[in-house]
Amino acid sequence: MSRWGMVIDLDLCTGCAACEVACKSENNIATVSPEQADMNRAMSWMKVVAKETGEFPNTAVEFYPRPCMQCDNPPCVPVCPVAATYVDADSLVAQIYPRCIGCRYCANACPYTVKYFNWYAPEWPDTERQYLNPDVSVRPKGVIEKCTFCHHRLQKAREDAAVEGREMREEDYQPACAEICPTRAIIFGDLDNPSHRVAQLKEDPRAFRIMEDLGTEPKVYYLRRRG
Amino acid sequence: MRPGVAEKLSRMSPDEQALLRPLVSTSRAYYVILSVFAVVFLWGIYAYYLQVRYGLGRTGMNRPAYWGIYIIDFVFFIGISHAGTLISAILRVSKAEWRRAITRSAELITVLVIGFGAVQPIIDLGRPDRLLNIILYPQFRSPLLWDLMSIMLYFTASTIYLYVPLLPDLAIIRDSGIKMPWLYRILAAGYQDTPRQRRILERFIGVMAIAVIPIAVSVHTIIGWIFAMTLRPMWHSTIFGPYFVMGAIYSGIAAILLAMYVIRRAFRLENYFRDIHFDYLGRMLLLFSLLWLYFTFAEYLTAFYGSQPAEMRAFWAKISGPYAIPFWTMVAFTFVIPFVLMARRATRTPVGTVLASVPVIIGMWLERFIIVVPTSVNPRWEISSLGQYMPTWIESSIMAATFAGFILLYMIAVKFVPIVSIWEIKEGRKESVNEVASRVAGYLPDDIAREPLGADR
Amino acid sequence: MSPNRRDFLWTMGTAVGVSALVPIEQIFWAPEAAADVGWSPGLEEWIRSACLVCPARCGITGRVVDGRLVRLIGNPLHPMSRGGICPRGVAGVQQLYHPERLASPLVRVGERGSGEWRQVSYDEVLTRITDRLQDLRDQGRPEALAVVGGYAAGTMHDVWRQFLQAFGSPNYVVDGYGDGTDAVMAAMHGVDRYPSYDLESSDMVVSFGAALFESWWSPLQAFTAFGRRGTNGALHRRFIQVDHRFSRTAAHSDAWVGVKPRTHAVLALGMAYVILRDRLFDEDFLAEHVSGFEDFTDARGRRRKGFRSLILQRYRTEEASAITGVSVERITDLARSFAMAERPVAVVGPDVTFAPDGLLAAMGVQALNILTGSINRPGGVLFGKDPPLAPLAAVVPDSISRAGLATASVGDVALPFGSGDPVTRFAEAAAGDASVEVLMIHGTDPLGTSHRADLWERILAETPCVVSFSPFMDETTRYADIVLPDLLPYERWQDAPTPASYPYPLWGINRPMVAPHEGGKHTGEVIFALAKTLGGTVAKSLPYDTFEGLLKVRAEGLFKAGRGRALAREFDLDSQKKQEERGWWLAMHDNFDAFWSELVEQGGWVDLFHDFADPYNLARTDTGRIDLIPNAVLQAIEGDGLRLYGHGMRDGDRGDKSFPFRLLPYRVSTLASDTLGLERWMAEQPSVLPDTQWRPWVAIAPKTAEALGLDDGATVNVVSRRGRYRARVSISPGVAPLTVCAPYGLRHPGGAPANPLRLLEVSSDPITGIPSWFTTFVRLEQV
Ligand SMILES: Nc1nc2c(c(=O)[nH]1)N[C@H]1C(S)=C(S)[C@@H](COP(=O)(O)OP(=O)(O)OC[C@H]3O[C@@H](n4cnc5c(=O)[nH]c(N)nc54)[C@H](O)[C@@H]3O)O[C@H]1N2
Ligand SMILES: Nc1nc2c(c(=O)[nH]1)N[C@H]1C(S)=C(S)[C@@H](COP(=O)(O)OP(=O)(O)OC[C@H]3O[C@@H](n4cnc5c(=O)[nH]c(N)nc54)[C@H](O)[C@@H]3O)O[C@H]1N2
Ligand code: SF4
Ligand code: SF4
Ligand code: SF4
Ligand code: SF4
Ligand code: SF4
Ligand SMILES: [Mo]
Repeated sequence: MSRWGMVIDLDLCTGCAACEVACKSENNIATVSPEQADMNRAMSWMKVVAKETGEFPNTAVEFYPRPCMQCDNPPCVPVCPVAATYVDADSLVAQIYPRCIGCRYCANACPYTVKYFNWYAPEWPDTERQYLNPDVSVRPKGVIEKCTFCHHRLQKAREDAAVEGREMREEDYQPACAEICPTRAIIFGDLDNPSHRVAQLKEDPRAFRIMEDLGTEPKVYYLRRRG
Repeated sequence: MRPGVAEKLSRMSPDEQALLRPLVSTSRAYYVILSVFAVVFLWGIYAYYLQVRYGLGRTGMNRPAYWGIYIIDFVFFIGISHAGTLISAILRVSKAEWRRAITRSAELITVLVIGFGAVQPIIDLGRPDRLLNIILYPQFRSPLLWDLMSIMLYFTASTIYLYVPLLPDLAIIRDSGIKMPWLYRILAAGYQDTPRQRRILERFIGVMAIAVIPIAVSVHTIIGWIFAMTLRPMWHSTIFGPYFVMGAIYSGIAAILLAMYVIRRAFRLENYFRDIHFDYLGRMLLLFSLLWLYFTFAEYLTAFYGSQPAEMRAFWAKISGPYAIPFWTMVAFTFVIPFVLMARRATRTPVGTVLASVPVIIGMWLERFIIVVPTSVNPRWEISSLGQYMPTWIESSIMAATFAGFILLYMIAVKFVPIVSIWEIKEGRKESVNEVASRVAGYLPDDIAREPLGADR
Repeated sequence: MSPNRRDFLWTMGTAVGVSALVPIEQIFWAPEAAADVGWSPGLEEWIRSACLVCPARCGITGRVVDGRLVRLIGNPLHPMSRGGICPRGVAGVQQLYHPERLASPLVRVGERGSGEWRQVSYDEVLTRITDRLQDLRDQGRPEALAVVGGYAAGTMHDVWRQFLQAFGSPNYVVDGYGDGTDAVMAAMHGVDRYPSYDLESSDMVVSFGAALFESWWSPLQAFTAFGRRGTNGALHRRFIQVDHRFSRTAAHSDAWVGVKPRTHAVLALGMAYVILRDRLFDEDFLAEHVSGFEDFTDARGRRRKGFRSLILQRYRTEEASAITGVSVERITDLARSFAMAERPVAVVGPDVTFAPDGLLAAMGVQALNILTGSINRPGGVLFGKDPPLAPLAAVVPDSISRAGLATASVGDVALPFGSGDPVTRFAEAAAGDASVEVLMIHGTDPLGTSHRADLWERILAETPCVVSFSPFMDETTRYADIVLPDLLPYERWQDAPTPASYPYPLWGINRPMVAPHEGGKHTGEVIFALAKTLGGTVAKSLPYDTFEGLLKVRAEGLFKAGRGRALAREFDLDSQKKQEERGWWLAMHDNFDAFWSELVEQGGWVDLFHDFADPYNLARTDTGRIDLIPNAVLQAIEGDGLRLYGHGMRDGDRGDKSFPFRLLPYRVSTLASDTLGLERWMAEQPSVLPDTQWRPWVAIAPKTAEALGLDDGATVNVVSRRGRYRARVSISPGVAPLTVCAPYGLRHPGGAPANPLRLLEVSSDPITGIPSWFTTFVRLEQV
């Protein structure tokens, strides 16, 4: 069975945020108003988090592009009273939007705070609804959403491979963020498939996972910046 | 009061007269106060309506402050609701004779408040219209579901536990015919106070009193677990179960004291809610203020000593950061003030206990605030952005409405049931003195006890 | 008592009753978007094209479903951007489907700027404009037509020029990316061209104030090189950013060197000192190709100090260190690793050039490239070529146009080097001067973006007829008389040559992905139509009907060039390049149409071959040598008190009591000039460093904040002698003390601009005409 995962090379990431915007575009993530944004309600399934240290001119920064970690042992899953957040057949942590009652318990349970809540119904100007991705549903108000590893692309890749009667290849299933990244800092594939790059990179001495000590077993690895 | 009713009342025993008068005579002030609370309550309903219509965005909650006032109120009100049934049960089981006057008012608090507590997480839902999903797609691994079950169990048990001991009193009212005979005929359910019925009743109350204790403990333990089962800093703590139970009882006692004081003043029941009751409950308040300090200290010391960076951020946010003012107010209100007042006999008066209870109630609300908010806004991953949380008028209105609603219900309830159990008082007068004497004798060495003291020995 | 109770119950009951009368659904649930996107997937196409959002012009691929453009991703066949694009590129869909796109041509009815318009038909506008233009020609003053163009790509410029030439006006001004580096190349190399940088093959890129990852010529060129650093060699530490601000480029380069404002060049020359002292320079290269290195006797027989003596005398590392604030060890280290790298290159950017002595300072940086021989060799500074396009039809002149073209163009001053800032020069001359009667504005918003908006206000008030082609009601368009909305790039044909920084000729093709907006019209085709109705020689000079047709004509030049090929996978491009290096080339198509459709299908044409053997690519001076001490520069600065490689570039100016902080305006990467407000994804989060949302900000150092008692997020007025604007404070450890870093181009959520450029007290570099943006001082007032 495949274990889809991501390796993000912090040595390559320039913090350009193309991944964020690509994700918003691919996954129909609504933009909230400035007032709402001031209240910390902006949504970005992928978020480039910057950590700045030091003082001019000895300043340093780390950019951490942060999707859902797609934990193998996800603390957000067991707490959901209606199993609206669950581990699916591809071992991805998925959301059932029509079932979610909006209690936000999962959001509190996630140590990485990657869950986003629809405080209001999402809105687009009428003209802008035209660019919505028909493969991804628009969430209603009052439910939780988060990075899905672009699961709809997996389904598509699988169908395509089936139609062509072949095995799925590494490049068949690439999420929007990995696809767009101009420095190729995001590498995506099957962690259990030794021929995929991620399987090799996760063994790299630079590899680590965020808050590994929590035992959540994230499927997103990071490669530390080189010395 | 209509003349007929007054006449009927005058034929009854003094206990009955004193305790049933509130059911049939109502002052203008009562209506005024009732209307005020009703208006506040309706205002809250309007606020909730706006929230449902437009979304939880109308509140001040955000990411990562996913929870706010509603969850604080949830813990708080369920805490208050503990008092009644649990304390009454403990006192019953331990055969504390001074309980007789106070169990009823305490149990009422439980039954009336628990609904207001239990409704908070529903108010907090983004999709209240999908509430049924909890039954359709339950996931039993979720502490929320455990909580749902234990609250429902507790509510049912508490209601039965309130209702069964009410039966003899309901029968008295029915028989006196002073109020809505049809209603009391139904409510009294044919209870005739035959010795056999009385025996069954007492046996049942005895069993319920024991059964209800673990249920009550479970309720607040699980509420504590809701937090403790997450990995968030200063929530993920083994002590949370007992800590929450202790806190619940503490705030419950304070609530009972306050209720007793108000009822005593309003219905002139000084004869029933006597200073000694306040004194005894005040002692319990003292004990719990110390327990509270002990638990809180243990909780914060472990966090501090472990000094994990994530925990410390929440820790310092409370001790000296943006939440220092509510934190130290909480310490003053839940420990310093009640301890100082309750440690001295001179201030364990009714007024003194009220002066201690009010801060305890506020302090315990603040305690829940201090548990929920600082952790919420200090996510575990150090470099994610910090949050802030400022409730909106919608949340304050709903909170005010909750208080108003509870008071409203309580005010209405005292118009339908005697606030002190008439039959238990009567029974106390008739039997307790002997019973206690014999019980005391039972505690003492045999040869002295051989002196015949009680008739049935 | 009971009536009392009854009243009470009544009140409650009525309230409940009333609410029960209205349908429950409507009361409780506000109307809401359907959970599906409202249409089901149908026909899906992937169309390759070019991004025209900024001058980089990356390759893009659009996902079009049922005629709607739903996603924009990169084009892996494009060798500059290699399948990546930046966030602005992704957000293009929000420009295309922007709710405020103009729905039809407009004619002003109210006062100028009143916002009262009449929607008119395309034909009516065309007649109006033609009448106007015909009048000018009839009066014999065709030069009274002026066109101000923005950064429109390739052939669009040529069409405007062609039109104006045929019409008879010399007044075509465009704002290219004037970073002033063309002046450096003109001065030292005699090359009239911006430098290109072979970043991808370089093993050490030191950028002096070029925001490579943010707003450089082509962020994607830098990204691609950065992403691949180390893949073709062992060296990983290759990108070094010298900056006076901890920019996002600095933040994630392999190292960053913080210098005091306006001292980049001193650092460069300090490095040069070490290289000279330790004899780490490329002696052969200097001997063979460079003059002015050793002391020499000039034309008038005077003995002159050469570069070596000047630097060894003036830039001892201790001195350089004191001026720049960079330690001696660091300077020495940098210099040594630069000189010892195999293929080092120093990139000079606007932080250096946008200063009163910008040219001189930039020459100091370029000297590093010359010392190490990093010119015209892999990984160095290259002078690229333009794609060999077929020219447009010959202009057919008539007497009117000849007379018009003979007049001096408005604001044209001969500059010794480079192109300077033509738009501002035009504005300075045109304001208050009635020479321009019809002003056409295409792809630019000078009123919204110029630091001399005051001049543009006058021009827009005074010019009798202003025509705007903007698809949006931008600041300038508000004051137009006629608006003829252009199509957006996703709906039109256009060519997209890569910017000057990219060393190879690459001709991207931008083709329509969706049906054109009903209110818009391709401006190029509007010009063709205008030419036709004007008739005569004008019509003959522009014998085209569609822009696509014109592009096809131009591509014939590529077909016949005998080099290059359609964009293709990396492997194919590499083997093509290797073939060309060996001197042969194979035609892949024997007929043009097949060639053309491959270009369109793949997204363009490229030739990755660069002739390193051609000395023409090194210097085009009279002597054929690169000049470190160019005589023309010495002449230009005579009497100005400036010294070549002198200390004049040091931080001379400072603030005073009332205006203590230096204003450092900078462009955020999410922004394409004035269009930021258009795209909500960009406006929502214009920057991740500092992390900001929606609102304009200024970044200050923690110490500054403390001294002023300002909290993070406080609102301040930024005040200079010339103006003020409101912004939020963002406290950021990467900001140097005594500076205020002010991103420009942001807007307040309501749309009001928050523009630090309006605060600037601009002086220009007298030699290049480039404005100095970094010599304004401000104070902050808490609101
Ligand atoms: N994202 C994006 N990229 C673009 C464009 C776009 O629209 N969008 N447009 C292109 C165009 S037209 C242009 S002109 C360029 C502009 O791009 P840049 O040339 O990079 O423009 P700025 O970022 O404004 O550069 C100003 C820099 O000068 C620094 N500075 C401030 N004061 C001083 C000083 O006193 N001395 C020195 N030496 N430096 C100082 C500022 O901190 C800032 O880093 O971007 C091009 N690239
Ligand atoms: N506020 C602010 N001021 C700036 C800058 C900035 O970044 N922000 N940058 C400075 C620099 S370096 C430069 S080069 C100048 C650049 O400034 P401008 O040349 O004014 O460039 P933009 O602001 O991008 O102007 C493009 C305008 O053209 C319109 N437009 C967009 N797409 C199209 C199209 O397809 N066709 C046509 N006909 N019009 C279109 C838009 O309405 C937009 O307002 O501004 C300078 N001043
Ligand atoms: S797109 Fe790539 S380089 Fe840009 S922020 Fe995301 S991961 Fe980093
Ligand atoms: S918010 Fe939705 S998904 Fe999350 S725990 Fe509650 S019901 Fe489950
Ligand atoms: S990162 Fe958070 S939301 Fe994602 S799987 Fe892990 S716990 Fe769940
Ligand atoms: S994997 Fe897909 S959903 Fe997740 S962050 Fe990347 S683009 Fe967004
Ligand atoms: S760098 Fe410029 S051309 Fe390239 S994708 Fe971004 S906006 Fe478009
Ligand atoms: Mo520019």
